[in-house]
Amino acid sequence: MNPQDLLQLFDDRALAAVAPLLALAIGIIVLLLSGVIRAFESLRAPIVVATLAFTGWLVASNFATVPGSVIDGTYIADRASSAWGLLFVVATLLAWLFSHRYYAESERPFQVEHDVLMLTTPLGMMLMAGAANLIVFFIGLEVLSIPLYALASFRRSRARSVEAGLKYFLLGAFAAAFFLYGSSLIYAATGSLQLAEIKAIGLHGPLALGGVALVMASLFFKISVFPFHLWVPDVYQGSPTPVTALMATGTKAAAFAFLINTMFMLPKSAALAVAVVALVTMALGNLGALAQTDVKRMLAYSGIAHAGTVLLVVAGTLAGDPESSGALHAALFYMGAYVFTAAGAFGLLALLERDGERFTTLEALKGLAQRRPFVAAALTIFMLSLGGMPLTGGFLGKWMVFSSLVRAGLIWPAVVGALLSVIAFGYYLRVVIALYMQPVSERDAALPSGQTSAGSAAPAAIAAAVCAVLVLVMGTLPGLFLDRLP
Amino acid sequence: MDQLTLITFLPLVGALLVLLTPASQEKALRAIALVTTLVVAVLGVQLYLAFDGSSAALQFLVDKAWFVLPGSAIPVRYKLGVDGLSILMVALTAVMMPTVILSTWGHVHKRVKEFMLWMLVMQTGMLGVFVAHDLVLFYFFWEVSLIPLYFIVGIWGGERRLYATIKFFLYTLAGSLVMLVAVIAIIYQFRTADIPTLCEQASSLALSKQVWLFAAFALAFSIKVPLLPFHTWLADAHTEAPTSGSVVLAGVLLKMGTYGLLRFGIDMFPGAALEHAPLFMALGAIGIVYGAFLAMAQTDVKRLIACSSVSHLGYVVLGMFALTYAGLSGSILQMVNHGISTGLLFLLIGMIYERRHTRALDQFGGIAATMPIFAFFLVFTVLSSAALPGLNGFVGEYLILLGAFQAKPLWAIIAVLGVIFGAVYLLMATRRVLFGPVTHEENKHLEDLNAREVVLMLPLVILAVWIGFQPKPFLDRTQGSLERLVQKIEVARGAQNASLEVPTTEESVR
Repeated sequence: MNPQDLLQLFDDRALAAVAPLLALAIGIIVLLLSGVIRAFESLRAPIVVATLAFTGWLVASNFATVPGSVIDGTYIADRASSAWGLLFVVATLLAWLFSHRYYAESERPFQVEHDVLMLTTPLGMMLMAGAANLIVFFIGLEVLSIPLYALASFRRSRARSVEAGLKYFLLGAFAAAFFLYGSSLIYAATGSLQLAEIKAIGLHGPLALGGVALVMASLFFKISVFPFHLWVPDVYQGSPTPVTALMATGTKAAAFAFLINTMFMLPKSAALAVAVVALVTMALGNLGALAQTDVKRMLAYSGIAHAGTVLLVVAGTLAGDPESSGALHAALFYMGAYVFTAAGAFGLLALLERDGERFTTLEALKGLAQRRPFVAAALTIFMLSLGGMPLTGGFLGKWMVFSSLVRAGLIWPAVVGALLSVIAFGYYLRVVIALYMQPVSERDAALPSGQTSAGSAAPAAIAAAVCAVLVLVMGTLPGLFLDRLP
Repeated sequence: MDQLTLITFLPLVGALLVLLTPASQEKALRAIALVTTLVVAVLGVQLYLAFDGSSAALQFLVDKAWFVLPGSAIPVRYKLGVDGLSILMVALTAVMMPTVILSTWGHVHKRVKEFMLWMLVMQTGMLGVFVAHDLVLFYFFWEVSLIPLYFIVGIWGGERRLYATIKFFLYTLAGSLVMLVAVIAIIYQFRTADIPTLCEQASSLALSKQVWLFAAFALAFSIKVPLLPFHTWLADAHTEAPTSGSVVLAGVLLKMGTYGLLRFGIDMFPGAALEHAPLFMALGAIGIVYGAFLAMAQTDVKRLIACSSVSHLGYVVLGMFALTYAGLSGSILQMVNHGISTGLLFLLIGMIYERRHTRALDQFGGIAATMPIFAFFLVFTVLSSAALPGLNGFVGEYLILLGAFQAKPLWAIIAVLGVIFGAVYLLMATRRVLFGPVTHEENKHLEDLNAREVVLMLPLVILAVWIGFQPKPFLDRTQGSLERLVQKIEVARGAQNASLEVPTTEESVR
């Protein structure tokens, strides 16, 4: 290919489509440079915020103009991928806000590196969501994963954090290998890596199906679905809490975005199998969470259950949901609500950890409503939304997932799923009970309530408050979001 | 602003005021709650008086756009209205709350701010359930009304409050979530969430499909009522709840279940309701007798009343599923009656508990001598609860038994036995509390009821006598809607008989 052709690939439309990616890349470089010069250190926060805000604006304008499929059909910037993109930007911004002053003194010198790594992740996520080609997706996956491996072990003085990073890295390497091997099998069977062409040719024969199985296994690993969910509790618990928030929301959303785009690879007859896998995931997640006393680990298990819930829309689509974009709508709204809810919940935990509550155990949360009513109220809203109570965004997400199943005629999976979410309330309510209905444990009452660095927590606190308000708005005025679904 | 929005959301405004008032201002907090509920009560009475009972139409209708479900473009609307099935429930909810709030002077001394907040939020939730006429909106109110009671039992409850409150929450939620699947299914089937439209069209569904949807709805409501096999959460919740929580639970919250059965069981799926009427009548009648036996065996007075609740709600279900005019009107009236009498019983037990700090039956005896005013109110309430002619309970039970007898004489006869057992355990308990020698030293120096305690009970006492002597104005409010409903049931019955060809037993009864 001569350079002229290459230039032609990058016409105006293509430039608009990848503008958000370029903006992020430029922001990352500027941030790296600012780290070199001491005098510019104070510019760190403004650069991060400006980059994310500008990227968000570019994504939003893509949502309106829809550049479409570009660069020889390898990348798509349509309304769906732009909506996902917006989600990623928000998730990153929230995680970054919560990391503000989260780390101990000894970890502070590397704050710039931390921010660079964090700012790199949405770049990978957007590539994943917009990928129309298996290799583009793989690049996105790696651009996302490698910074996360480093971020997971960022508290390098803590054994747990290092363990989390190592575990995530080793298993992530397996998942990446699965994906590559699967892609090569699909290429062998169809002669193409382009999703559109693969769809047109169709996947038949054991070679192609083997490829699909491997690709799906790798995706299931990223969204933490049975039987590839075992890494989640350790990694989520060990990682720094803001990073956990990012992994739980952004990474999962990106993998789901691609899963929705590649659903067609699965044979229609797999509908029931997918439903069963999703329900088993929900059951294991919920039962696992029920046994936890550490809230962070509990939320990790609850994240597994939520992944199972969203996976149900794939089963619904395969079983013949008459609404063509039902799965996309449900996944987008569900993950949208989940981003604010889970990020908010993890963010509050980060806030508590930092303020000297030391532990994220249920024991430490006892009687918190008396000492810090706003934190308790916000955490309650998040718990109710995770459980799917009406008036919160979580409810409508659940509604849309179940309605996809019901429309497709999968009534029993819907009923079983509904009953499994009753179990979920068993542990979400335990948090509320600790907050409001139990007295402060004696061990904690003796300690001074560590409000030592109050004030500096403002960005994180405001972010959590905004999350709580948005969760309620999504539940009471869902039209604001539903009318804008792609 | 329209009347129904005002009455439904005024308590929420009160809750916001409570939220903005500092927690140390306990007097102001109580005053805000009381004034808010009093205004709502006045509005409720106004609504009741302005309601035209002869019409079957939805009245005071509010219908505004809320949001649209994506893809299928099904509109979900903010639609409120009252008809004959709900007007008495709305009025009851409005009238009972000032009494409940006033009763908290005696037993809520910690975290007053939060308590008033949850009470007011709960009132909005309950009123919303009764006035919502969009299925999604209804479901919102239905589930959200769980949360306030969860906090009220969990924070201000007795020893085993955490166990009781989780049990209550999870039991009800399990039913609600199964119902959610049915709600989704019916909304996408008819591509509308409008309850009157759904009620009209759902009867056209194939009976096999109707039965499944009916079962899912009925499960949720039966747990809430609670109907026989699901009653275990109620005793725990009632026993552990603070007095005011018990009063609201018995007075209004349980009625959400019976109201749901009426609106979404019978009105929406008349065919399936007919099919399963014998089952529900049986469960109702067995519940009456079983609840009475349970009550006889209790040593804790509060638990005793909780079990009597199971028995009394058995009447409501029995009358409702008799599916005759008399049975239906009797069961609606009995919902109000149960609210009044059981509410009063819980209030009285709460008052004695505040003085003696025990609820064990054997700790009392001879209290009539030291507390004559209390004794008068307790005897009055027990007689109302045991359906003495001239008091409210009699009218409801009579109509229910009449209706049941017209439909299935066997269950009516069993239920009559329940009336006798009911009188037995209530009078036995009364004797052990009020009469006989004073066996405990503490009981000799009990203070009688004060003015506040008498005043807060008066509205309910007056209502009990009024309904007892003149039930007609109350029954008339339900007339138009019930005539429509009975007609609908007859149509369904006709269709079923036609399809069976062989004349069935229902035929001969009629």
